[in-house]
Amino acid sequence: MNKRTAVRVTITILSAAAQLLGQNTAADEFFEKKIRPVLSKNCAGCHNAKLKTAGLDLTTAEGFVNGGQSGPAVSKENASSSLLLRVIGYEQQPKMPPTGKLKDEELADLKTWVQSGASWPGAAATTQALPKPANSREFTDAEKKFWAFQPVHKPAVPVTKDKKWAKTPIDNFILAKLEEEGLRPAPPAGKATLLRRITFDMTGLPPTESEIRDFLADSSPQAYEKVVDRLLASPRYGEQWGRHWLDVARYADSTGNDEDHRYPYAWRYRDYVIGAFNDDLPYDQFVREQLAGDLLPAAKPGEINRRGIVATGFLALGAKALAQKDTKKMFYDVYDEQVDTVSKAFMGVTLACARCHDHKFDPLLTKDYYSMVAIFANTRDFTAKGSKLLYKPLVPKEEVDRYSQYQEKVNTKTLEMEDVTDEQIEKYTSELVPHLAEYMVAARRVYVDGANLATVANEQSLREEILQRWVKYLQPNDKESAKPSLDGWKNAAPGAATETAKAYQARFETRRAEWALTMSKWRGRFRKMTAEKNMPPPAKPKFKAEKDPFFYEVYFQGPFSVSKEERAKIIPQETQARLVLLQKELKDLKDTMPPEPDMACAVEEGDSVEQNIFIRGDYNSPGQVAPKAFPLILTRYEQPAIQKGSGRLELAEWLTRPDNPLTARVMVNRIWQGHFADGIVRTPDNFGRMGDRPTHPELLDFLASRFVENGWSVKSIQRMILLSSAYQMSSDITDASLEADQDNSLLSRFPRRRLSVEEIRDGMLATDGTLDLTMGGTLQKGFGTDSENSNSRLSLRPEDISRRMVYLPLRRANLPTLLNLFDFGDATTPAGKRAMTTIAPQALFMMNSDFVAGRCKNISEQALKDSADASVRMRRLYMKILNREPAADDLDAGLTYVANFQKKFAGKRTEADAWFSFSRILIASNEFIYLD
Amino acid sequence: MDFVQKMFHQSETPVSRRAALRAAACGFGYLGLADLLSADADNPLAPRAPHFPARAKRVIFLFMHGGPSSIDTFDPKPRLYAENGKPLPIKRPLAFAGEPPGPLMKPLWDFSQHGQSGIPVSTLFPNVATCVDDLCVVRSMVGEGVDHGAALLQTFTGTSTFVRPSMGAWTLYGLGTENKNLPGFITIKPALSHGGSKNWGSAFLPGAYQGTAIGNAGMKVDDVKGEPIEYLLQKGFTGEEQRYELDMLQNVNRRQASMRKNDPQLESRIHTFELAFRMQVEAPEAFLVDKETEATKNLYGLDQEVTRDFGWQCLLARRLAERGVRYIQCTHSYKWDQHSDLFAKHTENAKEVDKPIAGLLKDLKARGMLKDTLVIWAGEFGRTPVSQGGNGRDHNPYGYTTWMAGGGVKAGFVYGATDDIGYHAVEDRMHIHDFHATVLYLLGLDHKRLTYKYSGRDFRLTDVAGVVAEKILA
Repeated sequence: MNKRTAVRVTITILSAAAQLLGQNTAADEFFEKKIRPVLSKNCAGCHNAKLKTAGLDLTTAEGFVNGGQSGPAVSKENASSSLLLRVIGYEQQPKMPPTGKLKDEELADLKTWVQSGASWPGAAATTQALPKPANSREFTDAEKKFWAFQPVHKPAVPVTKDKKWAKTPIDNFILAKLEEEGLRPAPPAGKATLLRRITFDMTGLPPTESEIRDFLADSSPQAYEKVVDRLLASPRYGEQWGRHWLDVARYADSTGNDEDHRYPYAWRYRDYVIGAFNDDLPYDQFVREQLAGDLLPAAKPGEINRRGIVATGFLALGAKALAQKDTKKMFYDVYDEQVDTVSKAFMGVTLACARCHDHKFDPLLTKDYYSMVAIFANTRDFTAKGSKLLYKPLVPKEEVDRYSQYQEKVNTKTLEMEDVTDEQIEKYTSELVPHLAEYMVAARRVYVDGANLATVANEQSLREEILQRWVKYLQPNDKESAKPSLDGWKNAAPGAATETAKAYQARFETRRAEWALTMSKWRGRFRKMTAEKNMPPPAKPKFKAEKDPFFYEVYFQGPFSVSKEERAKIIPQETQARLVLLQKELKDLKDTMPPEPDMACAVEEGDSVEQNIFIRGDYNSPGQVAPKAFPLILTRYEQPAIQKGSGRLELAEWLTRPDNPLTARVMVNRIWQGHFADGIVRTPDNFGRMGDRPTHPELLDFLASRFVENGWSVKSIQRMILLSSAYQMSSDITDASLEADQDNSLLSRFPRRRLSVEEIRDGMLATDGTLDLTMGGTLQKGFGTDSENSNSRLSLRPEDISRRMVYLPLRRANLPTLLNLFDFGDATTPAGKRAMTTIAPQALFMMNSDFVAGRCKNISEQALKDSADASVRMRRLYMKILNREPAADDLDAGLTYVANFQKKFAGKRTEADAWFSFSRILIASNEFIYLD
Repeated sequence: MDFVQKMFHQSETPVSRRAALRAAACGFGYLGLADLLSADADNPLAPRAPHFPARAKRVIFLFMHGGPSSIDTFDPKPRLYAENGKPLPIKRPLAFAGEPPGPLMKPLWDFSQHGQSGIPVSTLFPNVATCVDDLCVVRSMVGEGVDHGAALLQTFTGTSTFVRPSMGAWTLYGLGTENKNLPGFITIKPALSHGGSKNWGSAFLPGAYQGTAIGNAGMKVDDVKGEPIEYLLQKGFTGEEQRYELDMLQNVNRRQASMRKNDPQLESRIHTFELAFRMQVEAPEAFLVDKETEATKNLYGLDQEVTRDFGWQCLLARRLAERGVRYIQCTHSYKWDQHSDLFAKHTENAKEVDKPIAGLLKDLKARGMLKDTLVIWAGEFGRTPVSQGGNGRDHNPYGYTTWMAGGGVKAGFVYGATDDIGYHAVEDRMHIHDFHATVLYLLGLDHKRLTYKYSGRDFRLTDVAGVVAEKILA
């Protein structure tokens, strides 16, 4: 008897019994009066036919008989220990209902009902119903035949009526479709337009003036091809196209979520991606390295595979909730995030939708999801001990150990020096603090009553030099308003001076005790971090003056403070000698210290764990085992065995098999989108049923086959695209093209697009020549996170830095305003395509930002310096900003504006202002921000 | 003839005559009323009708970052006095604290009943206590986040596991906003920590629905006042000069659009410049809190240092509410996290917000705005009945208090209850999903119908949960 038959038999027996009992009208009445209302009030909110939480429907006889994911609710064989009774009795998880236990009499009724056979009126009619086995089902024919899951077949290049237009096979596919619809492709774009288009597309920057002039002057047939090859070889290319991939890889430099810890070495992954595009690293290798680079051999045997380890940053750099106390939940959220990223990035499927139930629209099963989770559950993202981020050294272990030993010694010595000094200072202040009130009162006698300082000090056994400092501190002077902390003292009635001073002293003592606690906590943390070796020690805390200015001033600056110079006086000789020795030891250590070893935020193989399906996504409800595997619908022809470690390497190998139906298709689609604004599939991360169908399926398959044939070379596909007639069409929207091809899905014209935020910002910096083209490295400082309300939690502002935007570190929780303004996205979920919004605050950035004004000031000043001739100046502005010569009426209108502006604001505004203003008009114009 | 006309009419070149004709034909003439109206059709922020009649038109969320203690403020527990110092009688649920639980600790403030309703409020909130008959105190909030980040993210987006739109963004998506010169969702001095901008972000909803931050929690009010919204204030040029420049820009743009016809995105962008110009002229006025009368400023405590920051936030919130901003948040950041020194710090914190909050409630009421403004007071969780380190309390998301006022909730009403030590909510539990469903309901939105398709499926603020707490509806 197989399992399914066994279930069927059980159900039949149960149903038969129910049927028998069902004839009993008294039982029906009991059910309707006592049972149904309880179920309906307390259970049916979730366990109904529509929601079927946990697969259980308690609103119909059929649903009840079928049971849920955990099996039948009622056991015929052993009624008293039925699942239903245990769950509502709060004897077993999940305790139901979750909002609170049922009343005693309700529980008693339900028990009676179950023990007398759990009769449900009308159950007889449902004997045919079978429980759905959780998490597995047959695929329908439509699912099996769904286009994206079919192997790629290289189609024949279509023959077109027009034999002249096509320059590459791509054009045949485009033109064939247009001809079918009776449409003509748009005419070629003008040369200046084309150059601006391709330069922004390939480098994210505008063409330079000399590039424009060269191209316009070059009338050879190879002129354009030369440009294509020049741009493909430009280092700027990797920065632009690497950025597209970083969107897919949801790249950022911190963990986001709750505490937003820095990923101190994330930048190495970013540099790796830029390098991979510049070097035209074969895409299959790119996939393998990002998933399993740490498992691939190094270029030379025995060496560490640095680039491979760095590449796994793809898996390591997702958002993480480091403060989550439920660490199991945290881990599974990380695996979920990895499954989501991997499945969208490489396969174009939304597998993470199957975490709690089978995918609602695609044939992706919960089991598929947990089989993928199994791979990542066997991979380590954190240090072996706990939940600290994993930093992997890129140098041999001995070097790392040697450095850590040095570091530990340096830290220990540093702290020891602090301790010795602080101890002496503490000892010194401890003697003064109990007399604080006396000093204040005595000082008042000096500066109010005019008493002699030495006499007063002597009378009260106070130290003269300290009293002197109190007088200086308390004495009213010109700046007295700057010390509101002393208001209470100054306003105290003469008779209340002692009492007031004592209050000051009391608060001072409280603060001092608090401060001592803060410092001792810091010392503890310092030692802990030094011992744990994966974090530099925390900086010494600083007392915030505004918290208690009086304490701050007296303790750190004023009467009771000890300056560096004064330390010599209060520290005994032998201690000073020790300090000198320590200082020397520290210096020696630092002098001989090896360089900080290179590290990466990466993953590694983890402990071997068996993964179960989690029913409803809840790890407290493990279901059957989910061995490591790839989604069934994609592998139904052949499921490769996963035997080695986590299975990451097998995953990478399976993805990059030439017969994988998705990997090549998904990537060529991303490439296409990078050039044509929309992909052939317009939902680049979702090739499933809810995604779009390809507008040109044959072209997609042609490109995918060619991609694999060309050794997965991204640049080879791009070269073919760039040389096509389709890419060189005009973006004008004629009435005919609009009517027959409104959304341009036939590609009857080149799609005009808005520049991305990087292109806007980097492009502006390029325009006035202030862009810093230094490549690589990091601008992020420090480790860990910052105090809750610290502005260090903000990302650096792109307006304040002149490096290319791709090199600016991003703190996930607080992205720069500019990025939020221009649709950058959240850097937390894979985003193969950015939104494009047009909103008023974007216009405000153009009109009012210092950044735009700064560019315009530079450009206009340069133009003014270049020539005294207004026409020449105007031409310069057009070339620099819009990358073309102005037409005659452009020139006329521009010059008229500059002249009228000066006339209208004569006496208030200069000629330079007029040119500045016109520069801003061009930079804010639609022509600048939309790429024709 | 001005250069504007000159550009289209005086030039003799055939190209620009043709351009001018096309400009007229395509409706790219001078930007008139018709343009503005037609542009509204695809303005994502245009006001939209709710699903059913709204009880509240707008929300003011007063967020107490850190987690104020419910059992010391609005949820008195007599048993804690009787068993002060005794061990916790139940198994402790997942806690933030690593160490074993301390003993039960009685409330550190005395409670007394207030108003007609007789709702008890502790001495921490003497001013809010005078408004108690306007409050609907929810004593049975339940969340899942034991740490601040998870709790903030769930409070504002429904989940800490995924990146989801914030409730303000959902509100704006559902209802649009009434003042096109101001952002529809404004968060004043928000926290940068514990999720940071994700707590007012739009995630996969279009960026137009994200919250606009006015400064941040780390800034002083005086620094925020300088430029409340980045890029809002014109610099260098006078209004007249900038208008002159803008007129030329619009001409250049219109001419460019006329030569690239059939492209609505070009026309849209032209429209946004007009909108932006109006915004920068009209929006700054909303932030001029100093223009209020002395009496009003004093009502919010602007005359005293201790209440000046939060008072400014509350008064600004009222000004924004008056001007049709849909969703406003004030943040008292990150002060309420008393793992130690509960007595001193809670006293200090309450002093900073008590008068401003009462001022806001009274002012809204006096102006007739309380009836359709939903005011929410909440932390990300409450605090445990057991002590931590002898004088503090740990995080408690299992049963805590928030209150609402105005906007269609029952006034002078207490909803739900925690167990007799104040650890778990036991009666009329209001999970954060239920809270979200209820707030949306008050705004006239059905949380099950307010959906957005993303990544192949429909999403909503309440995921697959959420029940409207009907008992609190007025």
